[in-house]
Formats: sequence, structure tokens, C-alpha cells
Amino acid sequence: MPVNIVVAHGLEAKALVKVLELERDLASTEFVEYSNSSRLRLLVSGVGKDAVAAAVTYLGEQQSSNDGEVRAWLNIGIAGHRDAPLGSAWLGNKITDQSSGVSAYPPQLIGGLEVGCVVTVDEPENSYPLNAAYEMEASAFYAEATKYSTAELVQVFKVISDNLENPISEIDIKSVPRLIAAQAPQFLMLIEKMSAIAQQYNSSQRLPSFYFESCSKIHLTVNQTLQLKRLCQRYKALGLEEELSSVANLKASDARQLLRQLAERIDGISEA
Amino acid sequence: MFSTIYIEEEVLESERVRNLLARFPQVPQVICDRYGEVFNRKSQNFRLQKMAPALILAKKYGNKVLAAPSGYGYNDSNSYYFSHMLNCVYDCRYCFLQGMYSSANYVLFVNYEDFEEAIVEKIAENNGGGVYYSGYDCDSLALEPVSDFCSHFLPVFRRYPDAELEIRTKSTQIRCLLDTEVVPNCVIAMSFTTNEAARQWEHKVPSIEKRLEALHKLQLAGWKVAIRFEPLVLGVEGLAPYEALFAKVFSKLDGQRLHSISTGLFRMPVDFHKRIVKLYPDEELFARPTEIKNGMIALKNAQESSHLVAIEKLLLSYVSHEQYYRCG
Repeated sequence: MPVNIVVAHGLEAKALVKVLELERDLASTEFVEYSNSSRLRLLVSGVGKDAVAAAVTYLGEQQSSNDGEVRAWLNIGIAGHRDAPLGSAWLGNKITDQSSGVSAYPPQLIGGLEVGCVVTVDEPENSYPLNAAYEMEASAFYAEATKYSTAELVQVFKVISDNLENPISEIDIKSVPRLIAAQAPQFLMLIEKMSAIAQQYNSSQRLPSFYFESCSKIHLTVNQTLQLKRLCQRYKALGLEEELSSVANLKASDARQLLRQLAERIDGISEA
Repeated sequence: MFSTIYIEEEVLESERVRNLLARFPQVPQVICDRYGEVFNRKSQNFRLQKMAPALILAKKYGNKVLAAPSGYGYNDSNSYYFSHMLNCVYDCRYCFLQGMYSSANYVLFVNYEDFEEAIVEKIAENNGGGVYYSGYDCDSLALEPVSDFCSHFLPVFRRYPDAELEIRTKSTQIRCLLDTEVVPNCVIAMSFTTNEAARQWEHKVPSIEKRLEALHKLQLAGWKVAIRFEPLVLGVEGLAPYEALFAKVFSKLDGQRLHSISTGLFRMPVDFHKRIVKLYPDEELFARPTEIKNGMIALKNAQESSHLVAIEKLLLSYVSHEQYYRCG
């Protein structure tokens, strides 16, 4: 599951760790981090926009060398709303940063979930003026995560923990894991679908192993690397991936020879 | 039908928008300031958005009637196109729209009256004439039940009999036309590729048979009908698929009564092609050898191909030279 989950608070992580069967990654020193054998990662960022942006950057940079693999990013956390029942939850379809007034619109590929607006504030909001989930990370999370993934795979999921009748000052903080755990069917479905989309995308972008082998054995300029990549993609698209290693002899080839051999063969086949 | 409907605040209260929204009460609605906040943003992916496109209701500013690209049309009159919509409900792998926008959402510009005003101005500039294409950035009929495009724009052109409207489509949504008195200066132009090409590259498009049935009904009702054999993707299969396609088309339609017939090779601006290859590196069509001329990319040697000549010769056994033109 190529999915990164970022939460602000350890209590938000608590329910997720249990449901998703995650284990603490003790090697991580900058953030509290969890993962599982399905390649799901969860990071506890700390509260607020700066903290979540730093966490996303940390994880995004760590993963940026993963051969171009795209991962889905999900921010799960608690939020307040003027009259939504405690424990209700929705996927953000509009995220407004209150201080700048700028809105972002996560593309909605996944159906079957409640959806609604999210407003990110710098200080806890007590009056909830708009019909939106008020919280403190989503706008920064979305802005930062879309630097590392495509917008369709960056989503925020908010669980209502306070409202006018149950103000933020009276939140029983111990109830947070329970509120989040109650949404397990929803966020499990969300994670599964986001993962499926990411995997499908990555599969379409997968390069033949010959490409990596060539890059490790032959010195290629940046431009030659791009040419090789495209040639390998073309072989794959034409169902000729298996032929790559027989067309070019890596032991005998330099970069120019390699590219010429590959191009001549595939252009010959395609034009035949 | 739509994953979400985004609505520009400025058009929220328009009657057209209110009527449209009332028809989709189950679809989540999101208010935005301008459609550019949602559409064609960086970090968006056309291929992924095609999985669940949204509808965006917006107001079009700026030029609404633009000069058609050279070689687009069928005669020497001044040619223009207008796009009340951006993007298409179909998913044709060869389509240039995939490279034009990073978003697959449909933008419907609802200020039809402004388009009408711009069209009327352009018609006046052309002494009552000119050719006007709809369906360049979208399929004009495919969303007709939602857009009511025909019911607004056909009466406009009925008032200007020397101006010609071509509605380019692959849709079988022709009820709006059959329920209307024929507009003699309106041409319904349907695009076709071979059966093999359609199966491989045209997703969500009505079958060739259904499209022909729709054209047949239009022809019987007296509408001017045209055929666009585009894009031609010439390959190893030779002439046989075209023989089958032409036989099917001209057994269903009266070839002599067709307004025009055109062919056009697969080609698009180089930049669009580059973006599409990034979206679909696994697509066989884009793995074929290509060549670039004047900023346009095409399959290598297609222009000089003996197949192309043979296809044209075959086509001209069904229709006259006067009816035929090669696009581009």
C-alpha cells in the first residue's frame, strides 16, 4: 500500500495504529513514525501548519528516490463544526486556509464517503462560522503533499470532535481514539482505494528492469537517460520488453551504441 | 454521472445553473470563485481524473469566438470555433485534449447569451456568413441532456441562414435535433475510425453501428450530415479495416446526400504529445515512430503512405471529389 498518513497528534495515531496494525519505527528520530509490512507509513507531525508541512517534507524527501513511485497522502484528524454530531466525518472537497483566504479543491475520485468543506485556522476556532470542519493542518498538508504526489492522491479526512454544544475547551481528549476508531470502515475503504489508484498509476509508469540495469552499468548523460527511459517504455508498450536484453549487449555497448541499437530495432519493428 | 459539481459563485444564481443543479441533487456541490481554481491546476493528472470527472459550471470571459486552425474546415470561408465546454465525456486515447489540459473535468460555460452575442458580432463582420465549428474542445452533443446546447444555439443560426454551424460529435444524443425543425445551415459531423481503432482507443464512445443509426435518422429527418474519418492511424493492417468501415457507413447512409466527407491523419502539437506520453507511457499508439513538422507530431511516413492514397481512392468510389477534403 503506497500510502502515507499524517496525523497531528499521538492520540489521533493511537486508533489508526491499532486498526492498521502498524508498528513504531524506532529508527525515526525527527517524528514519531509507524509503518507496516504493506508499506503503509504513518507520521505524527505535531499540531499546526508548520508542523504538518515539515512532516510531509521529511517523508516526501525520504521517498523521493523511490524510482519515481507515486504514493498517496492522507491527513486524518479531528476537527470542530458548529452542529455536526461528534464522531461524524467527511472527506474534504474544499480546503480553505483562513489566514490567506486561499482555497484548494482535492479532486474527488473516491465515492461512497461523506464529503464537505474544511477550514484550516491558525488558532482553535470556537464559533465555527461556516458550514465546515475547522482544524489546523489541512491547507498546509495539501499544499505540501501535492509537491510529492498528484493532487488526486492527496486527501484529508476529518472526524468531528467538538461543536457548539460540546466546545473545544471541554473535549475529553481521551475520547479522540474512540471517535477515530469509529470511522474505521470509512478510512479503511479510503486507504484501500487510494492505494489501488496509486498502484495502478505506478504500474502504468513502471520501467523495465533493463532500464535500471543499463543505468547501473553504462555511463549515461541526463539526456541519454531520458532517451533510454523512453525507448524502454516504447518496448514495453509494444509488448517487447523481453527483447530488450537481446537487442543490446550491455557488456559491449557504450551509451550511444546502446541507444542506437535499441532505436533501430524498435523503429524497424514499428514501421514494418 | 459527475463526481462533484463545482459552481462559480458568480453563476450560482443564474436560472440555467439552478435548473441544472436541481437535476443532480445527489451530486456534491462545491462553490468556487473561478473555475481556474479547480481546473487545469499543476499537480493534476488527466488520466486519473478520467476515472471520476467532475462538472464545473463557469462563466466564460474574453474571446468566445476564435479563428479555426488552418486546414480545419471544408471550404474557404472564414472559419471560427467556439467552445461552450472544455473536455469531453469520451476517453479517446488519440485525443489532443489529454495533452491540452491537466484536468479531465468538464467545464461548462453557462453564459450562452454572451456566446450568442459574440457569434452574432462575428457573423456581422462576415457579412452574414462564415463557418462556425462547435465541438473543437469538447463533444457538443454528448452532454446535451445537461447543457441544452442545441436548444439555445440552433435558433441563433436559424436567424442567419448564410452562416454555417458544424456540430462535431461522436454522440448519439440526437433527440434535441429530431425534435426541432431542421436548420438548413447546420451540419452534424460525426467522427469515425475503423472498428479496430475504435475498439482499441475509443473508450465510452457509442458503437459505430449506433452512431450510424443516429446519422441515418438525422439524414431521414432532413438534417445535413457529414462524416469525418479521423484520425487515420495507418498501420500494418492495411486497407481491409477501411474497406469494412466504408462499406458499413455507405450501406447505411446516402453517400450522395452527405454534406461533406473528410479524412485527417493522427497528429497533434508536439507539446501536447509530450504530455500525453507522460500520462500513457504504456500506450502502443505513442510507442510508434513519429516525425515532427512545423511543431506538429505525426506518425512517421504517414503523409507519404501508399495506404493513405489507397484509402482516399476507396473513399472516392463512394463519394464525389466535391464532397471530399483532407483535413490539415
